[in-house]
Amino acid sequence: MIPRPATGRRIVNLLVSVAASLAALSGIFILLWITLMLAYKGLPALNLGFFLNMPTPPMVPGGGLANAILGTLLLTVLATFMAVPIGLLSGICLGEFGQQSRLADFCRFTANVLTGMPSIIVGIFVYGLLVLTIGNFSGLAGAVALAIIMLPVVARTTEDMLRLVPDPLREAALAMGAPRWRVTLSIVFRAARTGIMTGILLGVARVSGETAPLLFTALNSPYMISSLFHPMPNLTVTIYNYAMSPYADWQQLAWGASLLITAAVLALNLLARFVFGEKKP
Amino acid sequence: MPQARDIASAIPGKAPAKIGADALFKWFTIIAALVVPIIMAGIFWELLSLSWLALKTFGWKFFISEAWNPVTQNFGAASSIFGTVVSTLIAMLLAVPMSIVIALFLVELAPPRISKVVGSLIELLAAIPSIIYGMWGLFVFAPFMATYVQPFLGQYLGFLPLFQGPPMGIGMLTAGIILAFMVLPFITAICRDVFALVPAVLKESGYGVGATTWEVTYKITIPYGVVGVLGGIFLGLGRALGETMAVTFVIGNSHRISASLFAPGNTIASALANEFAEATDPLFISSLIALGLVLFIFTFFVQVVSQLMLRRMYRGWSIKV
Amino acid sequence: MTATQPKEKYPNASLIKSAEIAEVIREQKPQTAAKISTRNLSFFYGEHQALFDNNLDIATNRATAIIGPSGCGKSTHIRVYNRIFELYGDQRATGEVLLDGQNILTQAIDLLELRRRVGMIFQKPTPFPMSIFDNIAFGLKLHYKLNKSETADRVEDALRKAAIWEEVKDFLHKPGTALSGGQQQRLCIARAIVVEPEVLLMDEPCSAIDPIATNKIEELIHELKSHYTIAIVTHNMQQAARVSDYTAFFFEGRIIEFGNTKQIFTNPAVKQTEEYITGRFG
Repeated sequence: MIPRPATGRRIVNLLVSVAASLAALSGIFILLWITLMLAYKGLPALNLGFFLNMPTPPMVPGGGLANAILGTLLLTVLATFMAVPIGLLSGICLGEFGQQSRLADFCRFTANVLTGMPSIIVGIFVYGLLVLTIGNFSGLAGAVALAIIMLPVVARTTEDMLRLVPDPLREAALAMGAPRWRVTLSIVFRAARTGIMTGILLGVARVSGETAPLLFTALNSPYMISSLFHPMPNLTVTIYNYAMSPYADWQQLAWGASLLITAAVLALNLLARFVFGEKKP
Repeated sequence: MPQARDIASAIPGKAPAKIGADALFKWFTIIAALVVPIIMAGIFWELLSLSWLALKTFGWKFFISEAWNPVTQNFGAASSIFGTVVSTLIAMLLAVPMSIVIALFLVELAPPRISKVVGSLIELLAAIPSIIYGMWGLFVFAPFMATYVQPFLGQYLGFLPLFQGPPMGIGMLTAGIILAFMVLPFITAICRDVFALVPAVLKESGYGVGATTWEVTYKITIPYGVVGVLGGIFLGLGRALGETMAVTFVIGNSHRISASLFAPGNTIASALANEFAEATDPLFISSLIALGLVLFIFTFFVQVVSQLMLRRMYRGWSIKV
Repeated sequence: MTATQPKEKYPNASLIKSAEIAEVIREQKPQTAAKISTRNLSFFYGEHQALFDNNLDIATNRATAIIGPSGCGKSTHIRVYNRIFELYGDQRATGEVLLDGQNILTQAIDLLELRRRVGMIFQKPTPFPMSIFDNIAFGLKLHYKLNKSETADRVEDALRKAAIWEEVKDFLHKPGTALSGGQQQRLCIARAIVVEPEVLLMDEPCSAIDPIATNKIEELIHELKSHYTIAIVTHNMQQAARVSDYTAFFFEGRIIEFGNTKQIFTNPAVKQTEEYITGRFG
């Protein structure tokens, strides 16, 4: 029996290889297109006034986004302070106590599902939970929404990182007579801390660019932050409002804000990847 | 291994106070772990109770009615569901094959160093916030579509109703393409894991009978990791269904069902983001949240399926997840 | 010099220089014509050299066993014959491997055709994630244009040759993974021979299989070697003695001794070979 020539098969293989390379290139191309466009359109907007001045009505020069920058920082910090402790604790439950437990399995599963939930759904939830209860949109509600989005990310990373800590380390510490909680908090956590930091950074990166949940919670405000119980100015909703407006100077500010937020998010990601990601336990 | 972890309770001569602290600590963590399921249940409850008014007013017709008229107070979810499904479909049609071949490139074709760099860059696509895709989509990509892509498609494929109509840039097609690039990194990451985890000796057996790289991938690697690949696809699907800001910027926000992909439309998420601020009437708000309920149920099932599949894959390969 | 070289000639085998080893090998070529001849084959994993100037002839339609302690380069050596090592960017081979007199290490070689001609059986059975029938038909369809009934005939024929037809004929549509380990390995042998190869490379084919299944596979190798040239890497000394006609003893990437299997096992020329065979190391 004479084998048939493999020319056709080779051509298919070559075509797929070329397509694969092109697909990978197109992904990179889109990434570059977006980031370069942000730099090109956004850099001219980033002057000192952008950071220091308050917003002005359209067509009035000299407007800045000082309040929104501060607001986004505040929201992110608040959300982090809410999500990290609960996230760490539930990570401990899943990673240290819940290896075989059904309950832990269920919690883990739900955390994975919640990670994939659209953020706008979380926004509606907090709208019903806090905005309707308090009676108005508020920074607090915004922070809670962001915290809910961050929580499963922190919990799951913590669990994964704790599991990477070898058992002999726990056994050694326990054998010295240390109580369980001391072993977890001071030995196991220390061993896993870079990995856990990576998880927290990625969580922060994820929520600091969120917009949709804030539309239902913190909303936005052209004024300085006065209280946690009032609408809170923030960069992402400002981008949305300004970009959709017909005014060139507002759109310009939206580009500046976009550049700022993207730079921050990418920097957090790269930090997590290269500084902390290098030495996982 | 679990025995080792319970050594604490087995150590004799411990002060009772310390055992109490340990139990307290454990309960503390369990309560923290329960926060996530409680939130999940809370989300469902809130959505249901807030959309009750709309569901009671319109009944099951809400889900098939194309109406969306705040003035006459008549609302239906059909156009939003249609738009969500169509934009997601476009996104998946583009993103799935692309993700699979990119994973193939990263695992089988590229030298390790290039693979690492390219892989990281692709992952960064997932880090860019949704609203930035929206900005870029509205001001850069939509005009590009209107000037180059849509006239081209209209000229050569214009006989199909899909590609008829004025090239406006914004619309279903543009939204679908942007969505594709947004979910691409998620599917790629899973496919990459799957391809890398297929035993080397199985691939070698494939090459050993004289198969090409593509034949090994298509006939052996993908079938071997099919559960994982499907899990990745569902994960991407869930993302695409609920993606909000990017779509809101470029889809055109019209409550009309149109055969043409060039026409503006809306998705559940975009309708919510776009109209919530102007909705003051209780029935309007309730109808919007009823859309949210539909979205929740969609994504919930997609995510559950995805997680079950991924879990089955990793368990099958005895990797703890 | 005949094959029955007295071992006293090399009283201090560990001190033998490579030139002298080459001499031993030249003296002890198989009497049968060589299907594969390696000439000065060296192999590198990155910076690390794993094979040093291997010269070895694999006799046509005979079984040649490759023995030696773990990490001596046995598997590495036969993985050059079908260039499967090229899947990994940092591995490379230098020297020549002649298949029917043609050097397969040149770029001009058709890699897919080479791998059809040189089949390989791996340590662990590796059924593809498809039905038993498709496992066999996979390679067949790649290399031959056949209609449905021809394909079915060929598949049956290969399964018969691999002595597994009777066990699987009633459930060919079941996944290959449903078979037992020993059956899986015979399935892999059928999968390799269906594309009509000339050489079969076996990389410790029985190391993951129970003794009874091993027995069956050894019987199979006995039958196969009248049609195929077989190179079998094995850890199991008895297996080498039972199935092979020639034996090569590898040590630290070098071929220490090559010869008639009977002679190697009863009267090795080099002291190291004897020490290994009698179980004093490795």
